[in-house]
Amino acid sequence: MSLKIHFDEIISKYRSDPYDYVDMHARHTGKVRFLVDEQAEVTGPSGEWKHIPGTSLYEITRERNTKVICSETNGTVSAINWDADNTFVEAGEKLLTIRHPLKKKEIIEAILQEVLYLFPAPERARYYFSMDIQSRIERKGARSVFVKPGDEIITMSLMKRDTPVYYTGEPGIIHSIYFRAGDSVDQGVPLIGVCAEDKLPLVQKIITRVKADWE
Amino acid sequence: MPPSMPSEPWIGHAEILDRLCGDAAGPLFPAATAESIRRYGAPVGRVVEHHHRLDRCMERLRELIHDARQQGTSLASGTVVVADVLSGSSGRFDRTWHAPEGGLWLALAWADTLLPSYSALLPLAAGIACCETVRSLGADCAIRWVNDVHLAGRKVAGILSETVATAHGERFHLLGIGLNVNNVDFPPDIAGEAISLAGITGRHHDRRGVAIRLLARLAWNIGLVHHCEQQGLAGDDGTLAGAATGPLIDRWRQLADSIGQRVVYGYDVVKRPLYRARVVDIDAAGGLCLALDDGALLTEYSGEIRYLD
Repeated sequence: MSLKIHFDEIISKYRSDPYDYVDMHARHTGKVRFLVDEQAEVTGPSGEWKHIPGTSLYEITRERNTKVICSETNGTVSAINWDADNTFVEAGEKLLTIRHPLKKKEIIEAILQEVLYLFPAPERARYYFSMDIQSRIERKGARSVFVKPGDEIITMSLMKRDTPVYYTGEPGIIHSIYFRAGDSVDQGVPLIGVCAEDKLPLVQKIITRVKADWE
Repeated sequence: MPPSMPSEPWIGHAEILDRLCGDAAGPLFPAATAESIRRYGAPVGRVVEHHHRLDRCMERLRELIHDARQQGTSLASGTVVVADVLSGSSGRFDRTWHAPEGGLWLALAWADTLLPSYSALLPLAAGIACCETVRSLGADCAIRWVNDVHLAGRKVAGILSETVATAHGERFHLLGIGLNVNNVDFPPDIAGEAISLAGITGRHHDRRGVAIRLLARLAWNIGLVHHCEQQGLAGDDGTLAGAATGPLIDRWRQLADSIGQRVVYGYDVVKRPLYRARVVDIDAAGGLCLALDDGALLTEYSGEIRYLD
């Protein structure tokens, strides 16, 4: 990771286009039928348990089983692969793109993700910090917790099977936590962002600059 | 507390295999398929280490995994550790598990060779194995999602599941099983929540015989998970297909009494219940399908439930 962040360039980029473009790909093979048009406004899951599904985007049918795929985020449908409509597609084929408007906090995190080491969820499961890490976070705050490769930092829980997850990234402090204890996290999604000690001043500079410059 | 020295072989692998081959496979499986399932599960109990007293069987398995690694070898997949008494047993979170003389306390190490979506089914398979074992001995128990074996809310068997990795990246799934066999006295704080086979059937059971039955059922049901993976991979894109896990999930449904129940759900349902719902079904991946009071549907893949009705 480069230590140089060209602030004016980055801020300008986000000002001119303050969106995240979320591509959605077919989860498995099947015949697709779109349920939205381009420019449709969509919402993500809601409710106290995120139990109310987001906007229905498309149906995918395989072996006479039809599944409705819903949006996981809010925004506008910016592009649809109309060639896939009413057609059999392979797993992973790109189907549509949702343009999600970024909030200031999301922009800060997006920039920080260039600097932090992002430790991903190894599987789709529920996650919570190991007892040792949790107690250190509770006592002194996450940014006082130093982790190094080999540390048992997180427990992954799936179907009553608990698996310790060992940290494998750069040594540093836990700067950002992207999940709540017991949250279900998809495979590959970052759980924590770790900041090497020599990058702390840069991280603070990013946050200060974006907060100051972003209305 | 240092473990007691292993005693003479308590159960031979051949006895488990004899039982495995003797158990009926049922009408679902042609002979060749049943043979394949047995072959997958056959390593269960290839080594059985028996102790009079241990802190925890799973801890002993971790020691064995570590020791094998130190010696430049690997623990045999299917190794089982059994103890007559556990002095440091525990349940999930900070719950205690009472493990006196008379019960069957064991743990199995199974090398991690399954795809993640199939290894997630191992806790279900262990629950099915326990329930089939107690039913074969005359106790009409049922499974509460995920794998608690109970009779009218009183637990007969509990299962813990963990995955451990060595520094070299080798991984084992550890299945810890506690089955109340002849132990009929329970501490006051759990007396209303636990029961034993002897308490249900009114007779004493040969623990060694129960262990052979249980390990044979574990061999079959773990073999079935592997068979499901093989079938799933033979499908079009290798994703977890409902048809591939059908036999295991159907068997769980036959033994479970969770479907249709009104429940309280939580990650730690005792200390922090989250919401109430009705159980609608389990899906192909073993996830619990719940209907909330407002009609919304949720599927949970972790956590636990308690029945309300």
